[in-house]
Amino acid sequence: MPAPMFDPWIFGSELVFTVVAVAFCAAIYFRTRESYSLTKHEGIGYFRDAFLFFGLAYLMRFLLSVVFLSGMAFETPSGRDLLMPLFILPLGYFSTVAIFYLVFSTVWHHFDNRKMLVFGHTVAILLSLASFFARSPELLTYLQLALLAVALVSVFLIRKEEKRMTQTKLLYTLVFGLWLLNLWVTGRHHPFPEPVETLFLIVSLLVFVIIYFRVSKWAR
Amino acid sequence: MGTMKKRDRLEVIFDILRTVREHHNSIKPTPLLRHSNLSSSSFAEYYAELTAKGLVKEIVDKDSRKYVTLTDKGFKFLEKYQLIRGLIEEFEL
Repeated sequence: MPAPMFDPWIFGSELVFTVVAVAFCAAIYFRTRESYSLTKHEGIGYFRDAFLFFGLAYLMRFLLSVVFLSGMAFETPSGRDLLMPLFILPLGYFSTVAIFYLVFSTVWHHFDNRKMLVFGHTVAILLSLASFFARSPELLTYLQLALLAVALVSVFLIRKEEKRMTQTKLLYTLVFGLWLLNLWVTGRHHPFPEPVETLFLIVSLLVFVIIYFRVSKWAR
Repeated sequence: MGTMKKRDRLEVIFDILRTVREHHNSIKPTPLLRHSNLSSSSFAEYYAELTAKGLVKEIVDKDSRKYVTLTDKGFKFLEKYQLIRGLIEEFEL
């Protein structure tokens, strides 16, 4: 198979998406700073840290995409051996921690927070190491999908008295689902054509914008 | 018989700070304990937390009587409480 050519359109859309997504994640983090500093409320702490880590994860995803887009990953052994693992390791760690923290933000009352943190970071390190050694964003996607399924079933069991699907739950589901899709399309083995990939990016941005404006309503 | 909902941690802190403010920002620890509707041990725990977070401070008058007052951060907490509560409920935190 010939190496893919560098596509300036995909690069441009990835760059614009990453800049805006990271900016909104950072905005959510800084908007909630005062609420957290006044209360040290664990839920607010996990929530804002989740978006900090999502911002970092999307940044790493962009760097990984650039490696793939430039063809370095396929044409030169040094590109594949050095650059891709370099980015996939922090990508795996930041994104898994982001997923955990957003889940923790809603269930922190039910657990020993220290044990919960140790568990979350340990799993994040293991997942990032697995994707590092496999050199595969797809493997990371499948592992995070499995992790998310377990986490969501656990949340459902813990909060089973709240059966209603709220807008917030829907937004969280979209954040998780779109992250997995955006991660999946970073690799080579996915069924989506380019316009669908772009659609994922646009919907992801919309979700971050909605969350930011909902945060802004309360964090003035 | 009506049932009273158990206050969460943030609500207890809000009630303590509001009590201090309603007493012209100067109240002795013992009446503050009474107003808080907490056991002595719980109150001591909350009081230590409020001091550590810099929401209240102790002042001692010339007759060596101890008073509790709000700091700027304490006033800010009261001002922002409803918004913070809104954020917590909106995002189910």
